Amino acid sequence: MQAVNMLLKNVARCSALPFAVQHGVKKDLFPLCRTLMLSPCLKEGSSHSASEKLDLDEWKKVMKSGVQEASEAVSEHKELSTVAAAREAVEMWRLAGRSVPENISDDQLKTLMECPSKASRKKYLKFLYLKELYKKNDKRKMEEKRERRLETQAERDLKLDEIKRNSFTCLWANAMDRTHNWRVAQSMIFGQPLVFDMSFENDMSPREVANTVRQIVFSESSNRKSVDPFHIHFCNFQENSQYHREFLKHYRQAWDKLLITVTERCYTEVFPKNKIIYLTADSPKVMKTFEHDKVYIVGSMVDRSIKTGVSLARAKRLGLETASLPLDKYLLWSSGAKNLTLDQMMHILLTLKDTGDWRKALEFVPKRKYCGFVGRSVSDLRKSLNLVNTLKLGKKREEVQERQFAKNYSKKMLQK
Amino acid sequence: VQPPEKPLQTEEWKRLQENFQSPEIFEEVMLNNMIKCNSRVDVAKSLLTYVAKSDGDIGYTLLIKYLALCVQQQKTSEICDVYDIMKMRFKTLESGAYNLFIRGLSNSDKWRMALTILEDVKKVMTPSRTSYESCIKAAGRHQEINVARELYHDMLAKDLVPTLDVLQAFFDFSRGMKDAELKQELFGILSYLRDNQIYPHRMFMRSIKLWFESIPGENWRGHLTNIKHSGQCPVCHHQLEDSNLTEEEYRILKERITTDVIHGRDTFRKTSPQEFEAFQAFVEDRLPFDIVIDGLNVSHIKPKKMHCENLFHAINCLAKENVRLLVLGRKHMLINSSNWKQEVMKEMQNKADFFFAENISEDDAFLLYATLRSGKHCRFVTRDFLRDHKACLSDSLTRHLFRKWQRGHQIVVSSSAEGKHIDFLPAFNYDCVVQTTGDTWHIPYKDMFEEKYSYQVPRKWLCLQQKQ
Repeated sequence: MQAVNMLLKNVARCSALPFAVQHGVKKDLFPLCRTLMLSPCLKEGSSHSASEKLDLDEWKKVMKSGVQEASEAVSEHKELSTVAAAREAVEMWRLAGRSVPENISDDQLKTLMECPSKASRKKYLKFLYLKELYKKNDKRKMEEKRERRLETQAERDLKLDEIKRNSFTCLWANAMDRTHNWRVAQSMIFGQPLVFDMSFENDMSPREVANTVRQIVFSESSNRKSVDPFHIHFCNFQENSQYHREFLKHYRQAWDKLLITVTERCYTEVFPKNKIIYLTADSPKVMKTFEHDKVYIVGSMVDRSIKTGVSLARAKRLGLETASLPLDKYLLWSSGAKNLTLDQMMHILLTLKDTGDWRKALEFVPKRKYCGFVGRSVSDLRKSLNLVNTLKLGKKREEVQERQFAKNYSKKMLQK
Repeated sequence: VQPPEKPLQTEEWKRLQENFQSPEIFEEVMLNNMIKCNSRVDVAKSLLTYVAKSDGDIGYTLLIKYLALCVQQQKTSEICDVYDIMKMRFKTLESGAYNLFIRGLSNSDKWRMALTILEDVKKVMTPSRTSYESCIKAAGRHQEINVARELYHDMLAKDLVPTLDVLQAFFDFSRGMKDAELKQELFGILSYLRDNQIYPHRMFMRSIKLWFESIPGENWRGHLTNIKHSGQCPVCHHQLEDSNLTEEEYRILKERITTDVIHGRDTFRKTSPQEFEAFQAFVEDRLPFDIVIDGLNVSHIKPKKMHCENLFHAINCLAKENVRLLVLGRKHMLINSSNWKQEVMKEMQNKADFFFAENISEDDAFLLYATLRSGKHCRFVTRDFLRDHKACLSDSLTRHLFRKWQRGHQIVVSSSAEGKHIDFLPAFNYDCVVQTTGDTWHIPYKDMFEEKYSYQVPRKWLCLQQKQ
């Protein structure tokens, strides 16, 4: 590389003068040259500065000279299928510095081309770009970790003669798994049912379905690890549905060994109707206590576009009782939608089941969504809400008053 | 960092780069700032030379940024040079680069090159509407009307929405021309404005006015005016069109409101089938109504008064001339509470028909259905803009119908309602769209460039009439 650079520099030096002359900047250039040549300093550095005038278009020559091999390389693949064209377009966007992934698979390209609009294409590419970025970062961190481990390993090898003695046996992960599984198996016989309603596939985009399944996987694992797990039911579950395919991606062979009940039937066929309570944020009824003899239903749905009333409509159709979490009663809500993720729901329900303590359970609501707890009473809550509102809205008024005050004050001072 | 005033030597650039906090992105940051400060092209060139010397190559982003600077300063020869280089180095370019080339070249004497680039772009992707805009304007400026028209039709065929600037440009460069075909084209643009309920802004309106007045031998005169509630133009005393829909349009709207707004994908989301059937039977029984009132909405007009008092007052205001009223409410209104006194409710039910929906149902959907079912004369009262219901309609044509119907049939509470009386502003007697009778044109326009809310309609009009 350095050699090339030197070469380029030499070329530049030699070519600069004639090039400039050609382009008729002679008149401007010569006085400059003369002064430079006449300048008394004949040190090493300035010896070639005489010939190094500014050639502003030199970069063009450099760009054009490098073309030969580039164009050859380009002409090699001439297949102009749509996929190749799309790939090329993505590559050009990457060169232009947009948020676009470096590597893109044919499947992803196909999804990209199926996007209906420019904006959705952009969004999808950004999604892929971020995914790639996270993956890369994870990989880098893993490698750093491995290096660190190797280092400590080497240190430990030096002190090998000190053998540790420990009175506790090490409890390995699979032993833990066995106890967890034992508990879940118990719950499948004696435990309280918790139903995930899997009938929302048509209301969601593929990405939302993937998110849903991910959240359910999280919920299932936190249920398994709890002291007194629920007996999880997947109702309205269709074989070979999008849900099913996503689950297989996550669980692989473990899918068939999961300690949950999966059924195509509806929850109304499995449980008596009067025992069922459908949990939905749109419900007009607010949940007061957690009841241990009821069957709670959670809709397996992620709605990024906030489609209100979808799960409430399900419950209405079947004539079921509904309930929503008493978020407003216990929390000073600040921002964000009141629908929570499925794993948050699971955490909240598990805590309620164990303790019945709303404050403890609602700790699992994301912190960004509320300002604080209001555990006292509804009237207190209303007061503080009003206070917050007046603080928020009345700020301007207060500022005006303050300014007025300042004005008056300065007037008084002047009068004195 | 402040870009330098004069072109720098390699050594000087090197020093600057070394002193910069993150040298790896030095060139990009520097060029960005040059674009921002509109530095001289020479300075950017010297930077590129420095980069070319030290790396032996210049990255795509840098070239684009340099190009942006050249376009900004209209350096045509530079743009051509960059185009040659890019063409040689890259097989295809991305849309941003094409946009810049087209914009840069269309403003120069090499505008035909912009057209050829546009043709190239078409082979790979759909050009952006601003690219079309640049080319059309360039063609118009050079009196190539046919080229401009072809491009315009091409653009419409590709489902691109033309910018208002393009439309305005057509009026500008056709001024004073006598060409029947072109005239038809411009009338086509005016009816495009009409169909899509687009209101031109002041500058655009001026272009339209000047074009009309410049048509040789037709003697058009344009006046700016305000049109009052009656819908009569103060200049030519012409009565503007009313916003009644045709039978066919009315039928379509009625159908779509029922299928898209009330039922949607799941009837249970807004109501339930039983309830809707009950409502339909109720309406059929008592048809037709003259005014349908959104009870809950009206009951909140004055926050300090009791809800039922507000509603009572509103009903008294509207019930004067022996009109048939329908009030829509929810069941909770029937339970005696501090806001809903049952004696008042009883009294109101003597003056108007009431329908009470379930507490979790949406009463707005019922409001629309009852009004449409009652016929064209029926109006409705609510302060709601009904934007969420409009959004439920699946295509833009029906949404336009809905807006038109809404303008003509919604009675809104006037702003003076803050005072003692509730006043109801009757619905518009005329329709606020571009309209013509052959020898007159009436064109609503807006003062500001951007209209903030979709429910606001302009009050200012351009009245054009042909003097014989």
